[in-house]
Amino acid sequence: MLKPVRTFRGGYEFKNFNGQARPVIIENQLPAMVTIPLKQGFGTELKSMVKKGDVVFAGQTIARDDSVVSSPIHSSVNGVVEEVRRVNYFKRQTAMVIIRTTNASKEIPRIEGCSLDWARLSNEKIEELIYLSGVSSLDREGIPTRFKSSIIPPEEVKHLIVHGVGSEPYNISLELLLKDKNLLNFLEGVKILKRIMPNSKVHLSLNVKKKNIIEQVAKLTSQLEWLDIYPLEPKYPQGYDEMLVPTILNQNFPYGYSAANIGVVILNIQAVLGVYEAVCEGKPFIERIIAICGPSIKDNLHIKVRVGTSLKDILAQRVKIETPVRVVMNSLLTGFQLNDISLPVDRTFSHVIAIPEKREREFLSFMKPGKTKDSYTRAFLAEMLPWVKRSPDTNKHGEERPCISCGFCERTCPVKIIPHLLAKYVQRNLIDETIMNYGIFNCIECGLCSYVCPSKISLMKIIKDGQDKLTMQGCDSAQCILPYFNLKGIEEYRGVTKL
Amino acid sequence: MRIIKNVIDNLNGLMQKNKYLKTFKPVMNAMDEFFFGTDKVTSLPHIVDNMDIKRLMSFVIIALLPVTIASIYFWGLRVLLVIAVSYAFGGLIEVCFAIFRKKEIHEGFLVTGLIFPLILPPGVPLWVVAVGSMFGVMFGKEVFGGTGRNIFNPAIAGRIFLTIAFPDIMTMHWQMPFSKGLGGFIHFQNTVDAVTTATPLVMFKNQGVIAPYLNLMFGQSAGCIGETFRIGIILGGLFLIVMRIVDWRLPLAYLATVVIFPYISNHLIHTQFALGGFQLLSGGLLLGAFFMATDPVTSPFTKQGRWIAGFLLGFLTVLIRGLSGYVEGVMFSILLINAFTPLIDTMVLKVRYKKK
Repeated sequence: MLKPVRTFRGGYEFKNFNGQARPVIIENQLPAMVTIPLKQGFGTELKSMVKKGDVVFAGQTIARDDSVVSSPIHSSVNGVVEEVRRVNYFKRQTAMVIIRTTNASKEIPRIEGCSLDWARLSNEKIEELIYLSGVSSLDREGIPTRFKSSIIPPEEVKHLIVHGVGSEPYNISLELLLKDKNLLNFLEGVKILKRIMPNSKVHLSLNVKKKNIIEQVAKLTSQLEWLDIYPLEPKYPQGYDEMLVPTILNQNFPYGYSAANIGVVILNIQAVLGVYEAVCEGKPFIERIIAICGPSIKDNLHIKVRVGTSLKDILAQRVKIETPVRVVMNSLLTGFQLNDISLPVDRTFSHVIAIPEKREREFLSFMKPGKTKDSYTRAFLAEMLPWVKRSPDTNKHGEERPCISCGFCERTCPVKIIPHLLAKYVQRNLIDETIMNYGIFNCIECGLCSYVCPSKISLMKIIKDGQDKLTMQGCDSAQCILPYFNLKGIEEYRGVTKL
Repeated sequence: MRIIKNVIDNLNGLMQKNKYLKTFKPVMNAMDEFFFGTDKVTSLPHIVDNMDIKRLMSFVIIALLPVTIASIYFWGLRVLLVIAVSYAFGGLIEVCFAIFRKKEIHEGFLVTGLIFPLILPPGVPLWVVAVGSMFGVMFGKEVFGGTGRNIFNPAIAGRIFLTIAFPDIMTMHWQMPFSKGLGGFIHFQNTVDAVTTATPLVMFKNQGVIAPYLNLMFGQSAGCIGETFRIGIILGGLFLIVMRIVDWRLPLAYLATVVIFPYISNHLIHTQFALGGFQLLSGGLLLGAFFMATDPVTSPFTKQGRWIAGFLLGFLTVLIRGLSGYVEGVMFSILLINAFTPLIDTMVLKVRYKKK
């Protein structure tokens, strides 16, 4: 059923950034060498089942452990294992299997037992297919199956939220993901998920500006009474689990824990498509669609790559090299900076963003009309010219100054805390229960406060420091959450990874 | 652009050599930053807003421009001199403190230096401007630790100091504005009927006369340099609100209270309290409500606090105008509420984050 438009208080809409990926997809050529991390997405790191010299084929399981919370990991090419070693991967030492491609065939063998007529398959079989394909490790808490792929079993899921809001400055194209047959596949995927989580209600949230897609989906799902469609304002950080739960379910979120703890599973559209492909086509999840965005890219489009392809293979030829560039993974506000381009992509990559690293100083920059400058205030010309694309860069655009309590950070904060107040407490080292009471542990690290601050204070970082210091003093976010929530599955491994 | 760069580079070179000149480093840095911006890059988030304090302050100045230009028309070119003196002497204190503290110079003074002359009487002697500007910056801001830490609005602090120290100069000498032809644009100052009139508020207090609203709106009345061209103030204030630089809650609460509250008090003692419309368009109310009470540093930062402060400001303004010997209700009420700002915020936070 189509529901009225919803949104939340605070937040900020990033409009019209230059370098949005076109809804076009090309396949990247098979890499000569892949590096496959043994921890991808949600779950513990696994032990390699292959060793140096082993011959592997694309889609072969190279790591699996049913006794811990995890999902299997596959080889993404046909080849020979060169080495298994530990590499620093996003600030974490992670074991990697390095495979040299020997056979350039693009064929991927199917997982046994898949069927286009999935309604005939038993629940056990469907769950097994989802688990074996590796899709179950996607998103923050994975997809629950009878294997330990999430912290809660499937029957405990009360709500399943599928989101394609796209509230970041750069988003993967919804039109592309749900093009033609994919839309039907996606809806099949939703039905499959509903089947394995029988007690759940499905909530589909889409960007309110994509009217076509909403209409189509609404038409196709009018018969399903367990499915609701919510058009949401694309205000950052609407795509966060912490914001989706309050906006859609009118429920408080246990900040610092995951949605799964309150029986909610949140998946994005690629994950649901992956479920369909796993169950109906038997495809292991070794390919990923990545949006290549940002003004420093020659041609902004989407590419389909094998998991384990190094960033070098993706970015070579695509990045403008005339000026220095900063490459960021997934989100311009919270994503990791990718300094080492020999690192591989894993299942969790969805965007690679390249923006100019602008160290040059700009003459009288504060007096410029600002045709391409984005700002929370309306004090730039860009606000009046909606057709002009705004160009982001990494310059700070101003000197750090003392806080003047302008209140921008409070007005944009999605979780209703007062960042500048907390930052003042932390900077003066007044770290005690007061700031816990002011909700310092509610911070979801979306980075909006640091973004809007005209005094260029790194509020997010200061608040995070405050949290760490407070934790060292023995105060924990658990004290704010546990007395008020009845959480599930917290004795299990907590794999909440804040990237 | 290259010329400025050369000048700054040369001066920097000189400073490196001379030990005494080195103390002026903050001035050079401020100039350098003013012209060329920053070369620092972000860490996380990777992009930040293009707004900075310089542009924020420039927009307040832009919003004040119509008023400033109109005041030159009304009171003559001497206004420019008054503004220059205010900037020079206030800036001097700012620079001294920056050198003394070895910190950089902050942009907050750009606004204070312009607002302060706008709330002085047109005939004010220049030495009084200098004293007031220095006092305001020093005791209104710097002694508390500089921009962002001050309790009182520096312009208000300076003005109140002058009112109390030199009552004769500050409250007795009012002029009628130019109203014909090019007016003040070609005259240095108004000499014809200077010192002959009183401000509309004083006229009401003494004789019960209410000036025509249209005259008040377009500046044809006696008053401080920048407070009489009220249509310009309203436009400037709305401009800041539309630009999201100023929050609309406090001015709205303030002005609404000033309009509504006198209707009640007028019933009780109608010789003391003028009606709301006149209250709204007289004195420095509009300038105070849009540009001084909303100063983010000295007004409450919580939304509820802004409503409360606005209401209290309006209440106090009407009371002071009606019942005290002074007519400067706006100025005194802003100073008082500035002092109460931390308390208001604390109370609001106490209620909002009550322990469950």
